[in-house]
Amino acid sequence: MEELKHLKDEINKCVKCGTCRSICPTFRVIGRESASARGKITLIGARFNSELDITDAYLKHIKECTMCGACRDTCPNGVDTIGIINAARAQAVKEQGLPLAANLFLKNILDSSKLMPFALKCAARFQGVFFKDSGVDNGLLSRFSLPLVGQGRLIPPLAETFFLDMPEVKALASDTARTEKNRAARPLKAAFYAGCGVNYLMPNVGVKSIEAVRKAGGDVVVPDSQVCCGMPAYYMGDVETARNLALKNIEAFEGYDCDYIVTACATCTYGLKSVFKELLSGESIRSREMTARVNAFCSKVMDITVLLADVLKYRSEGGNKDAKRIVTYHDPCHLNRNLGVRDEPRELLKGNSSLVFKQMRFPCSCCGLGGGVSLTNYELSIEITKRKAESVRDSGAEVVATACPGCIVQIRDGLHRYGVDAEVKHVVELL
Amino acid sequence: MFTESIKNELRRIVGEANASFSKEDLLCYSYDATNKVSMPDGVVFASTPEEISGIMKTANAAGFGVIPRGAGTGASGGSVPVEGGLVLSLERMKKIIEIDAENLLAVVEPGVVTWEFQQEVEARGLFYPPDPTSLKFSTIGGNIAECAGGPRAVKYGVTRDYVMGLEVVLPTGEIINTGVRTVKGVVGYDLTRLIVGSEGTLGIVTKATLKLLPLPETTKTMLAVFPDVKDAARAVSEIIKARIIPSTLELMDGVSIKCVEEFAKAGLPADAGGLLLIEVDGAVETTEKEAVIIEGICKDSRAISVQAASEKNEVKNLWKARRSASAALFRARPHKINEDVVVPRSAVVELIAGVEEIAERKNLLIACFGHAGDGNIHVNVMYDRSDPREAKAAPEAVEDVFRLALGLKGTISGEHGIGTAKAKYLGMELGPAAIDLMMRIKNVFDPRGVLNPGKIFLQADMSPASGARPAQGAPVRH
Ligand SMILES: Cc1cc2nc3c(=O)[nH]c(=O)nc-3n(C[C@H](O)[C@H](O)[C@H](O)COP(=O)(O)OP(=O)(O)OC[C@H]3O[C@@H](n4cnc5c(N)ncnc54)[C@H](O)[C@@H]3O)c2cc1C
Ligand code: SF4
Ligand code: SF4
Repeated sequence: MEELKHLKDEINKCVKCGTCRSICPTFRVIGRESASARGKITLIGARFNSELDITDAYLKHIKECTMCGACRDTCPNGVDTIGIINAARAQAVKEQGLPLAANLFLKNILDSSKLMPFALKCAARFQGVFFKDSGVDNGLLSRFSLPLVGQGRLIPPLAETFFLDMPEVKALASDTARTEKNRAARPLKAAFYAGCGVNYLMPNVGVKSIEAVRKAGGDVVVPDSQVCCGMPAYYMGDVETARNLALKNIEAFEGYDCDYIVTACATCTYGLKSVFKELLSGESIRSREMTARVNAFCSKVMDITVLLADVLKYRSEGGNKDAKRIVTYHDPCHLNRNLGVRDEPRELLKGNSSLVFKQMRFPCSCCGLGGGVSLTNYELSIEITKRKAESVRDSGAEVVATACPGCIVQIRDGLHRYGVDAEVKHVVELL
Repeated sequence: MFTESIKNELRRIVGEANASFSKEDLLCYSYDATNKVSMPDGVVFASTPEEISGIMKTANAAGFGVIPRGAGTGASGGSVPVEGGLVLSLERMKKIIEIDAENLLAVVEPGVVTWEFQQEVEARGLFYPPDPTSLKFSTIGGNIAECAGGPRAVKYGVTRDYVMGLEVVLPTGEIINTGVRTVKGVVGYDLTRLIVGSEGTLGIVTKATLKLLPLPETTKTMLAVFPDVKDAARAVSEIIKARIIPSTLELMDGVSIKCVEEFAKAGLPADAGGLLLIEVDGAVETTEKEAVIIEGICKDSRAISVQAASEKNEVKNLWKARRSASAALFRARPHKINEDVVVPRSAVVELIAGVEEIAERKNLLIACFGHAGDGNIHVNVMYDRSDPREAKAAPEAVEDVFRLALGLKGTISGEHGIGTAKAKYLGMELGPAAIDLMMRIKNVFDPRGVLNPGKIFLQADMSPASGARPAQGAPVRH
């Protein structure tokens, strides 16, 4: 009840000035009011006043959002736009009985003739690995869209050996002995959280992250019972699944005596640092003990670029100074808007003398992947990426650096589709 | 409500996908930035003048209203379907057709967002000055229909001054071209000027030929902070008196500063009484010289500090702060009536002092900010609708403000237009004969009253069945 009242107040705060139209990536592509935050808030307001039913059109519109947060940032009136949209999605899941996320899944994947046996096999495998009892959603599938083949889409290939299965990574799971022995010599210890992107698709990003931390004098552990961060489920309105996953992750890290919990994925960082708090503060589960546990966890979460640049003062040795490459940086929404991380990744890149840094236009505009859009509406999603591809081309960059596996997948797909010749790498791969 | 056959006819004209009668779409096209809501019966997304012509012919035959809509950021209710009818969205017509650098002109469709157009021309070293504060999200069509102005109006004028010619679909469906592509042109009446600022009541703009200037070499941005907003206003008059025309001379009073700073965190002094955002543009030497003179004038007018923004980001933040003023004010009170009166530049101090007096007498919070350089001040009467005293006092205060502005030889709207919000005040400024002539013009263009009905003129005075009736003599009718 309290939540609903808060939501209504938030909706009423929107004065319909239209400022958010200037910045919304989905509106930019679709060009209709219903795709802007102002339009969505109007629809959601009507829904909460029971003037509107949960129709297909309503669902379609509230799904036309990458959750990039640009509207919330730009709203002069401080309306919590994504809070409203997310609440509407959660409400739809609740009211529909059949979860919105599962519904999407059935409609878009299981019911699709475009499935490749390969993808099916993968899907089955993941379920075994990570989603034993979450049942509904599969973070990897929904964020990285593995099974949606066709439409000229670039599918990220699965890693031959998943990050968490690598022997050298497994060896980092045990903590105790290391603590005793190394405490004095290595005062800083980071527990690495991989997330689905790094684990299944880009183990190298994990490996490089660990290398960099070590090179800068830190120590690393990788807890082995970590699971998906749950953000895909959260963004598709499946709060229950997200909450379960959050709890599991907190448990997975509690046994480790670390200074920081570090990730190389913008979305995971945001989820672990901020969304967990929200997920585990609801009326049903609020308890003092729980709050303390969540706070202890969240306060340690840090993005790898921040750890390297600010805490460890990472110094690049640089590669080949004679063959300089032009690099640009794409700001992942979750790092930039939600956590205010902008300078650190750029500093790291500028610190490498074999790179020449060049800012692209609109570095902060959304890549188009998030909020479930790439799963529910690929056409829209990849159309959003067009602007990014154009910015990259105009910048003349040979390498696009970013700090999120999700963005990497999406931008690679976009560059490929729009014929822009540039590599896409994680910042840690360019140190 | 439309009959099935009208719906089908509309679908046939614009294509199935571009006509909607769903509740979801109707809700999304039921408002503009005045936050007044009235549901349309349908929405179409047209893409050519021919389609719009077909729509207008259907509207005349069937007798339904058509409401042109750009971005729906209007400040006087111009695109709100107050009587239902068909919203005609121009959002799809967003092509920049040509930029002619040799002849300093551009041809654009109406749905182009002003800022995006400016980015394109500036990339070619050209300049389209009109800059309503809403430039990042309002459309050229909407700007033309409202004759929008902005901070640069003090030096460069308003939208009207940059419209050379138009392609217009008349309310009865004919497609006409007005104006020229040349610097001069006097053939026939100046229909271009008549259409500009007609608030979508005389025709639908489907193409505009716009005048461009060379992009000034440099722009210098300064921020001057004053203990009292009246000091800031005085500095405005002094700057103009010193024969300097800045390209921007924006004012904010204490309440506005506080609300804006809460949002934009641009480092404005939250406890200041007033500030001026000043820009000079042109050749580097001239701007440097003018900046020094302006700094001196501000100091003489008791400025606490005068600072030049040195970095691009600083300038961006200052403008973000200024542009958010209108919406950020809601942080102070839940509702507001936003009027944009204009007075001769020399009378800005008197206007501000008068508004302060009205605020005190009515015991209301009134915030002033705006384009002080051209005498155009946004007077925001803040109130809470659920408080009976405030709900009564607010509209009274607005009328007092209008009286004050007119008494200072000003006008009741500089750029927002009349729409529905100010229709009842029209008679305060215009004589009955002038209103009558305007209504007769409207009738000639739109004999059946189908284009944007319910705007500018009060419905009692203007009904499609009886044709125009002369306005009554009383100055204000409620
Ligand atoms: C935060 C904020 C700041 C603002 N600042 C300024 C300012 O500094 N200066 C200023 O002048 N205004 C300002 N405005 C008001 C508004 O942005 C302008 O009036 C703008 O020109 C409206 O453009 P639009 O595309 O949103 O038009 P809409 O609101 O959609 O329509 C406005 C009117 O134009 C008509 N119209 C739209 N397109 C066409 C067309 N193609 N042919 C014929 N008629 C058409 C509509 O019927 C309606 O009557 C501001 C508004 C906001 C919300
Ligand atoms: S910017 Fe904020 S107040 Fe303005 S329309 Fe968008 S959400 Fe509403
Ligand atoms: S979060 Fe991003 S995509 Fe969603 S409405 Fe806001 S600006 Fe648009």
